[in-house]
Amino acid sequence: MGMLEKIYEKAKQNPVKVAFPEASNEKMMQAAYETGKEGYIIPVLVGPEEELRLLAGERGYDPSVFTYADTQDEARKNAVIANYVALPDTRLKEKALARRMENPLYFAMAMQKTGEVGVTFAGIDNTTGDVLLAGQMMIGLMPGISTVSSIGICDIPGFEGGEDGLLAIGDSAVCTNPTARQLADIAISACETVESLLGWDARCAMVSYSTLGSGQGELVDKVVDAVRIAKEERPDLAIDGEFQFDAAVNPAVAAKKVKRESAVAGRANVVIWPDLNVGNVGVKLIQQFGHADAYGPMLQGFDGVICDCSRGAPVSEIKGNIIISAVRAAGLAKGKQS
Amino acid sequence: MDRKELEAKVLELVAISYDRDAAELSTATSFKEDLQGASIQMVALVAEIENELDAFIQLQDAAGCTTVGDLVDLVEEEL
Repeated sequence: MGMLEKIYEKAKQNPVKVAFPEASNEKMMQAAYETGKEGYIIPVLVGPEEELRLLAGERGYDPSVFTYADTQDEARKNAVIANYVALPDTRLKEKALARRMENPLYFAMAMQKTGEVGVTFAGIDNTTGDVLLAGQMMIGLMPGISTVSSIGICDIPGFEGGEDGLLAIGDSAVCTNPTARQLADIAISACETVESLLGWDARCAMVSYSTLGSGQGELVDKVVDAVRIAKEERPDLAIDGEFQFDAAVNPAVAAKKVKRESAVAGRANVVIWPDLNVGNVGVKLIQQFGHADAYGPMLQGFDGVICDCSRGAPVSEIKGNIIISAVRAAGLAKGKQS
Repeated sequence: MDRKELEAKVLELVAISYDRDAAELSTATSFKEDLQGASIQMVALVAEIENELDAFIQLQDAAGCTTVGDLVDLVEEEL
């Protein structure tokens, strides 16, 4: 069974409520409907209920699939506000929150923060910036994390390393030129993401053009500092480096280049790029020459699961991202309980 | 609230959000070069401004401010 099939199976076993604040969008409503109808999630359409019901009817959808969060229902809105402001560490007070919640994106995230839904899924009408900033304001970041980032999962034909041939890579999409602190955050978040989504024990390599001091310079120093910070912050995680890419994923190369004990060298299942130049080129190389399927990018670092889909994404891709997000949310909730 | 009072209030909120001493801040303070904050801190600052000054600011507009003075201008427009 491939990675996606496994994730789809997991989703069906425990369907999560997913909020759709852009539900009037035709592609978004179709993706919400199909994933709901097929039993992967419980779709909650956030917006003016009457209008959304009318649209769903016109589009021929079975009305029993959707539930609604009516943004025009004042009593409903006030209940969400009361629950939200009662939480510790939320930023907005009643009046400011009520104003923000006139936007369904913020309404959905307030519902997520209060536990009514597990995921907020947006990005087809809102820009990536809108989604990232709203997420930081309404959901906040994971404790100890100061930056939002992303990872992707690569399924690389013929690759025998990683985790059964799969390799998580990040950040190839969000953080342009992370500081050492931010790079450490990306590594920590990536470990959490692969654990919640795939149940992996992360072995996370932070890569550079140097392996344990074989090269020098400020670009290497940043990665060395990031490894130190990540290890200090989370000694429970297997994060190591700095390694060259081959020393990270190939046991034979690691045996030659890494002359100390490492739980990660040669067998990394998560690779963290030093910046977005490397990340973007890296993922393109894997796709073009490795003929890999790359899933994502998945946003990480939030204290919950927020998905920003591509505006040009076809319905099939949106569906895949909805299901992946739902499984991450279920994994995260399980992790928080234990 | 006049301009001076508004500046003082915004500086106070910047100090809280960026965990700095208000005395070391001025309207010329640069968010990027002097405060070197992450976007989460700007988000926190916008939330504080909304709560305390009842001014609704677009996060993207706040993120586009170079100095604290630029942000005061933005808040003044909204009030």
